[in-house]
Formats: sequence, structure tokens, C-alpha cells
Amino acid sequence: MSKQKLFKGGDIASEESAKLQRCDVLVEGGRITRVAPNFTAPPDCQVIDCTGKIILPALFDVHVHAREPGQEQKENIRTCSEAAINGGVTGFCMMPNTLPAIDSAGVVKTVLESAAKCRIPIYTSGAITKGREGKELAAIGAMKAAGAVMITDDGFPVSNPVVLRRAMEYARDFGLIVASHCETMELSGKGAMHEGTVSYSLGLEGIPAISEEICLDRDIRLAQYTGAHLHIQHVTTARGMNTIRRFKEEGVNVTCEVAPHHLIFNHEDVGDYDTNYKMNPPLRTKEDNAALLQGLIDGVFDVIATDHAPHTPFEKNNDFASAPFGITGLETALPSLHHYFISEGKLSWDLIVRRYSAEPRRLLGQRAVPVTEGGTAEFIVFNPKTDTVFTRDFIKSKSVNTPFLDQALRGRVDVVVHAGEVLLQR
Amino acid sequence: MTPRKDLLDIQSLTDEELDFILTNAVPFKNLFKRSVKKVPTLRGRTVLTLFYEPSTRTRSSFEVAASRLSADVINFSVNTSSVVKGESVLDTISTLEAMRTDYVVVRHGMSGIPNLIARNTTASVINAGDGFHAHPTQALLDVFTLKEVFGGDLSGLRIAFIGDIQHSRVARSTNLLCRRMGMSTAMLAPGSLIPRDTPAEIAKFTNWEELYAWKPDVIYLLRVQMERQNVPFFPSIGEYHRIYGLTDERLKRVQDSGIYVMHPGPVNRGVELNDSVMTYERCLINQQVENGIAVRMSVLYWLKPGSVEEVGS
Repeated sequence: MSKQKLFKGGDIASEESAKLQRCDVLVEGGRITRVAPNFTAPPDCQVIDCTGKIILPALFDVHVHAREPGQEQKENIRTCSEAAINGGVTGFCMMPNTLPAIDSAGVVKTVLESAAKCRIPIYTSGAITKGREGKELAAIGAMKAAGAVMITDDGFPVSNPVVLRRAMEYARDFGLIVASHCETMELSGKGAMHEGTVSYSLGLEGIPAISEEICLDRDIRLAQYTGAHLHIQHVTTARGMNTIRRFKEEGVNVTCEVAPHHLIFNHEDVGDYDTNYKMNPPLRTKEDNAALLQGLIDGVFDVIATDHAPHTPFEKNNDFASAPFGITGLETALPSLHHYFISEGKLSWDLIVRRYSAEPRRLLGQRAVPVTEGGTAEFIVFNPKTDTVFTRDFIKSKSVNTPFLDQALRGRVDVVVHAGEVLLQR
Repeated sequence: MTPRKDLLDIQSLTDEELDFILTNAVPFKNLFKRSVKKVPTLRGRTVLTLFYEPSTRTRSSFEVAASRLSADVINFSVNTSSVVKGESVLDTISTLEAMRTDYVVVRHGMSGIPNLIARNTTASVINAGDGFHAHPTQALLDVFTLKEVFGGDLSGLRIAFIGDIQHSRVARSTNLLCRRMGMSTAMLAPGSLIPRDTPAEIAKFTNWEELYAWKPDVIYLLRVQMERQNVPFFPSIGEYHRIYGLTDERLKRVQDSGIYVMHPGPVNRGVELNDSVMTYERCLINQQVENGIAVRMSVLYWLKPGSVEEVGS
């Protein structure tokens, strides 16, 4: 039995209320045994001072590229899990665009074996189609039996609607979520950023908003027709979001996610061809930033997810069109949301708890981890007054392809508790 | 004026720098009439041309400009078939760094490559055309030419760009510089070759009648490319020529209105223009070529390579 720990004087965030509750939290043996205002520590108890800090349920990310197997120069499951812990994330779901793709029970088992050696639970999705080629269905039933919780060809859409229809009808009966990277490949062409005024002046081929919106429309109608649970990944446009809103009102079984970078940045940030602002789908416009943020507040987005996509400096230090898509996000997500929105009064803590802790867990059939008596001790202590500087030394991911590299953000993850154990303490 | 290392685009130039480059091109051009066309300005300096896209005229224009300034000119041969990726560009740059050249003149099919190179070398980088992004020396020579034709002040003049606007770095750079000079600019092309998000102050036309009504002083013809990624932008070269090209019939009307004609070269006869344009007395194509050398001399004279500062300090 591990020693009792008392987290003293923190303000507890919950998904029920925007108001924080000042309470002490006593942890013993993996569970929260007492939550009450200002009580005396039991004898022989470790006391962790949380004065002026926020205690919130640990985060969960449904969209992470751990790059294993095959691209371990960028990341592996172990380093990815440590990056997650560094950002206050104590569970995540991996994407199957690995080499080879996670498209069979064998690969699912292999990655889950690696995952089991990490300090936090890690889930995996499997591909919809073999090799993510969009042609033949992958071994969906076998992957589910091996532990896959979602299917997606993420990075690519399933371009052929018949293939996606069959996949939805098939996956539906296994209770698997079908997740869509919405993109019309022909419209995107060789595009490297959002098609607009900036792509025009930089002379880069653009990815028009309609590339995403047309595919999103199609996929959501297929979900409506087949009754499958569709999860739309990384929505970036106001129009796409409004389509989801409309179909949700019609009762379609659709969920969706938004990435912090699509709330914070837009195409103007690409600046002088900075490849740390290159991702797919791309950064859109200032108006989209505002609309997506409002959508998050309104509840159109079920979850926040980072699309953590590590790449090496060698790959990213390239001309904009040739550099790969993607930026890392696990370590910067919460500090960036705090810096840009919470500390500015634009988002409240209950929304972060709901959208980046509780709902992502529920989406994958897990229980939420509120900071309440009798609950699992799975929470983080966030210091809103101290900056985090994202230096190479600070970052636990193998890769540093983030716009926040060597930048300071207001707020710091000070303590991460999982199953009663302190995984990180600063 | 703060010393500047690189010329990458038109946006980053200050009015003072623009004026410096355009003003100093005049005495350089006057040199061409002398029997000895060379000045010792860049003696002992090395100018390296690095062209990933074939271009005889721009490359030789830079070579002539550099040698008239007494610089040593090195032509770095790039095997374009094997060097297509940005990472190879950076490998090449470390090689160039070791060679300690003072100026690198770059042309590349990918937008932003000169910016990438400039960040990774102490040499002055001159963008000689990158992707659809920018071709600043072309813009400078175009405006220099217009100033010769119309006198110093270009404000209020009207220039229309005709052709593949979408994939043209010339359309971007020259258009921008013309607007900075106070000119009104317009575009005429098939809808599929006009970008959706161009600056609002640029007029967009769909046919020649609208263009005539706008009363342009200059028309600037651009090369057209029919397809990319196997999707044609227009039905055929013949149809393009008939609807958008400078046909003999249209040339007559252009002549009657005294409109000047420009083109960045090389021309596509039978596509954007006809043979007869080349002998039209207000066709500025050859003047553009001659001015290119003077303007590029002026640019080389203006830039301050990082290598030079090193020696100085």
C-alpha cells in the first residue's frame, strides 16, 4: 500500500461547474479517499502544496501519432507516452498510419505490447482499409478482438464512397467508431497550406476549404444512411463545423474533434515559410479560429485532440511544399489553451475538463476521472502563474516540430497523478 | 539605409531601397554604350548561379551583370533530375558555405527555397525566381523599363496582366511593384487561371472588350501552361489563343490605342501572342532584356553579403 498523499489548498476543476472548488484531496492506494475544504493531514502523510494551483482530472487525447512501428526516428510509443505525461495527458489513442500500417490483428497486438510497458494506458485505432490504400477492408473484426478501439485511415480519407459505406456498415456491428480524415484528394492536389490570400502571396499551392467540407458532407451522410458512429477528426472550417451541428440536430451518430492549433493559429502565421505551421488539414482563417472557438463553447465539438504528429528537424527543415505535414501537441496543448483562452477569460476550466478529459474517455468507452471522493486518483496540478518554456530539454517527445519551440506559455503542468502514483512533479 | 543581405521578394523592400536600386541602374545602363563596359565594383567577389530550373536568359543576364562588375562568376551545375528535394538543397548549401561565395543567385521550382537558403548561408541570396512565389529582379527591371518609357512617375498608369496568373511569379512580383508605384493593375485570363484570393484592388477581366474599356497603357503577356496534374485549365491551346491571345486583329486595336506590350520571355508564338507583335514599335521585350542586366548590376551593388561584414569586423 502506497503512502497517503495530501494535495493541499488547490482549486478543483470539474466538468459540472465553471466555478473552482477550493478543497484538499487525499489519495491512498490509487483512489481519492477524501475531498474536503482545509482538513488536517493524517499522520505520516506526504503533503503536496497546491496553493494557487488548479487540480483537474488528467487529460486524454484521442488523436496521437506515436510513429511505431516504422518511424521511430520521429517518435516511439515510449517517448510519446512520456511526452503525454509531460503535458498532463494520462491516456491516448494512437493512429494507424505507421510503417507498416496498423491494419491487422498482429500489428495491433505488437503496438499494444509496446504500450503495455508504458506508465499510462494507451489505446490504438486500426486502419479502415489494408495499407490505408482505400481499396480493401482491413481485418476490422480481428483488430477489434485484438483491442483496437476505433478504425480510421487517418492522414488519408477513404476516397471511394462505396468502400467507406461497407466499412461503416461492417464496423457498426462491432461497436467500432469510424473516424474520418476529411479531404478530397483531387481538390487538395499538391497543396501545402490553406488556399487563400497567403497561399497566393507565398506562391504555394493551396488546399481549399471545400476539399475538407465536401468530404465531411459525404461522410456524414454516409453515417446517417448506415447508422454507424462517425467521428470527424480535426475539423478546421466554420462551414464544416456547421454541417456537423446541423446533422447532430437531426440525430446522426456523429462526434468530432478540434485541435488546439486550429483554434490558436491561422494561415497568416505561416509567415516566412515556417514549416512548424504546416499541418493537414491546414491552418485556415482568423474567422475560422473564432467560429471554431465558439463551436467548442457551444458544444459542437465533443473533444479536443492534438493530432500530435512528430517529425525530425531534418524533415521539417525543408522548403514548405516538401516538408511533411504535422506538428507535435501533447506537451503544449494545455499550456497553450491556458495561455490563449483560459487566462484571457475566453474558455473556462469546466470546458477543458469536459472536452479534453471526460468526453474523450467516454468516446472510447472509458469512465471519466473526476476529482471526487471514491474516484480513481487520476489528476494533474496546473500552475497558472508560472511559464513553461518549451526548450529541447523540456520536451520529452523525440521531435520538436512545434511553433512553441523555445517559446514561453503562461501556465505549467506541475504534478501528474495516475492510479495514485505521482508520475511527474516539478 | 540598413545594409541588406538578401533579395527574396518585393514585399520586404523599403521605398528607399527600391529607389536606390532603380536610381543606380541608370548609370550602370549608361556603361553599356561605352567600349569598356566593365567597372571594378565587385573585384575579388564571387557570384554563384544556382539554377534548379533551366533558364538561359535570366542566368546569362545575371552572369553578364556580375562580370561587368568584375566579379568572378561560377556556374554551379545542378543535375535537376537527381536534385528535386529540399534536403538536397540544404546539402548543396553546406557545400557552398565551404566555398565562401559572396552572392548566390537561385532559381528553383519550389516556392520559398531562396528563403530557406538565405537562412542557412552567410552569402547574399538573390531570388531569380522560385515556384509561383516571386521574381523580384524581373519586377525591378519591368518597372525600370516603364520608368524609361513613361518618365519617372508611374502613378495613375494602367497595366493589365494577361495569361497564366495562377502559376506566375512574374504576375505576383511585377503586379505588386507596379501597385507600389501607384499604378492601377488588372488581370485577364480564363477563370481557371486566376487565383480565387487575389488582392481586391486588382481588377479582374474575363474578356478583351472589358480590357479595352479599362483603357490600359500597358499589357503584360504571360506564358501559359495548359495543364498541371493532368487536369487542363482550358480546353485547348487554339481556344486559348482565339479567346485570350494577342491575335493580329487585337494587335491592330492595341496599336491604334498606342498600348505598350511587355513579356518576361521566352514567348510562346501562336499561344499568348503572334509573330507580328515582335516587330510592333511599342513592344518592350528587348528593352526589358537589356534593362535586366543594368538592374541586376544595381542589385548586386546594393546587397551586402554576410561574408563581407565578417571580414570587416
